Amino acid sequence: MSVDTTIRMGSLNLRTPLLTGSGTFGYGDEFGSIIDYSSFGGIITKSISLKPRAGNPPPRICETQSGGIINSIGLANVGIYNFIESKVDTLPMGKTEVFLSIVGDSVEEYVEVVEKLEDVSGIAGYELNVSCPNVRRGGLDLGGDKEAIAAIMSSVRTVTGRFVSVKLTPHYPVIAPVAQAAVDAGADALTLTNTLVGMEVDVERRKPLLGNVTGGYSGPPLKPVALAKVWQAAQVVDVPIWASGGMVNGIDCIEFLLAGASALQLGSVLFADPYAPGRILNEMIEYCERHDVTRLSDLVGKLETR
Amino acid sequence: MEQINLPIAEKGVVDQIRKISDDTWDIKVFSPGIAKSSKAAQFVHVRVSEDFRPFLRRPLSVGPCSGDYLRLIFTVKGSGTRLLAQKSTGDVIDLIGPLGNPFKLPEDDEYPIIVGGGIGVVPLLLLDDQLEPDTPRDFLLGVRTESLLPVDEPEIKHRNIQIASDDGSIGFGGNVVQLLERKLSKLQSNRVVVYACGPGMMMYALKQVCIKHSIKAYISLEVPMGCGLGACQSCAVPRSDGDGYLLVCQDGPVFDATEVLIEPEVLR
Repeated sequence: MSVDTTIRMGSLNLRTPLLTGSGTFGYGDEFGSIIDYSSFGGIITKSISLKPRAGNPPPRICETQSGGIINSIGLANVGIYNFIESKVDTLPMGKTEVFLSIVGDSVEEYVEVVEKLEDVSGIAGYELNVSCPNVRRGGLDLGGDKEAIAAIMSSVRTVTGRFVSVKLTPHYPVIAPVAQAAVDAGADALTLTNTLVGMEVDVERRKPLLGNVTGGYSGPPLKPVALAKVWQAAQVVDVPIWASGGMVNGIDCIEFLLAGASALQLGSVLFADPYAPGRILNEMIEYCERHDVTRLSDLVGKLETR
Repeated sequence: MEQINLPIAEKGVVDQIRKISDDTWDIKVFSPGIAKSSKAAQFVHVRVSEDFRPFLRRPLSVGPCSGDYLRLIFTVKGSGTRLLAQKSTGDVIDLIGPLGNPFKLPEDDEYPIIVGGGIGVVPLLLLDDQLEPDTPRDFLLGVRTESLLPVDEPEIKHRNIQIASDDGSIGFGGNVVQLLERKLSKLQSNRVVVYACGPGMMMYALKQVCIKHSIKAYISLEVPMGCGLGACQSCAVPRSDGDGYLLVCQDGPVFDATEVLIEPEVLR
């Protein structure tokens, strides 16, 4: 039985639902020949800001006793001018769809970065990062405010017709109002979710394991949290949801599809297993074969809650 | 410009595993692609657990290579290296490598002094092999105490390694940077180049000594790392000029000692 893995979302037609999670895949060329693009529907770059950002003091990554990792990279990136000058040519365009993650300190900065990218051809769309836990402005404090998110989205909408997803934090107790606000402001999709704020302590030295004390908690422990947010948002919005949250195998991914996600972002898993996309795609196909599902997209939102 | 081979993914096979000291292990791995192309200070990113516990790969320096085999010599520090120490002959190890930039070999008129601290000696063993056999050199190794030596006696003898121990249980009584200073005071050559790898405090002290004596020093650093490929930017070390950070995986692990700010707390 052959399983159709393509996913259609508005103007987009992705080869598979698998995307890379922003920040875990650089600008696309770092993994070199180790990555097989044929398993991907697309990649999402590291967040790009107007000015270069050096990032947070090290250490920037640690593991936790409960599984997964915490990072505090601090949105280190080359800035939009250097990106256009030296990185655009290295993007894997033609091999897969390329989405650019954008971050800013203000509404104007998001708009300015997107405007500058409008001249770059071959870009499939943008993901607006309004929820990074590792920087003050342009980070969680912005992502916590649904008016601010709506303002960013609607302003970006005035300068681009490209596909735009808004990446939200898992920290909302209730996701529906902010999800709805982003969609009302023109989002084509929602990405759920960014990392949770977390920290880890070295008791021998009485010091935090991260230079920035706290960071973004990701990996398998994030999965149930992200899954709940995806499901909750899927109840209220009618745009596609891009899930992000600790997926390491095909069954994790099927869970997110059933909960309502249309695309699946692989993030932290790529550090441990850069071959994960091919393996995960095969595992999803095996699931479909076992359940006589001919199209992966048929599983989206098919969770039976009663 | 030295040719650097692109990293490859390779399933290595454990040929032999042996315990060298209380907590140090030496695994001989059949990994022809990586063994044949690795240069001193390059590392492999080793997957230690198939079920993501612990989650991350472990960056390990490539030790001495011979033909299709490379040696991974490591100290058990946590759950990842503990799992690695449980491997046995025939087990498969998922490797990505060689990664990072190797040591720049000495110029013809330079006199290399190799300075290792504890398990930091591993990349230096490969460097020792990659120097021309007739190149004169000093090879110094510091340990806290004799029982923690990360290399065995035949290897020490064969390579003519001079040992320093903090407690005086073997060799020079004192730390390896003190031994380096003593060595420098006796050397005639003013074209010394130091190659070093070791714990944070040692690297900090070594940098000060090399600056004091106006000696070029190449240091190989180890810090907590994510992808190992330059994508995640986890393994940052501050530049000494204050202008942001360099990445150990991509810009290093070898740096000119004057290029980076050495923070003993961050280095492993």
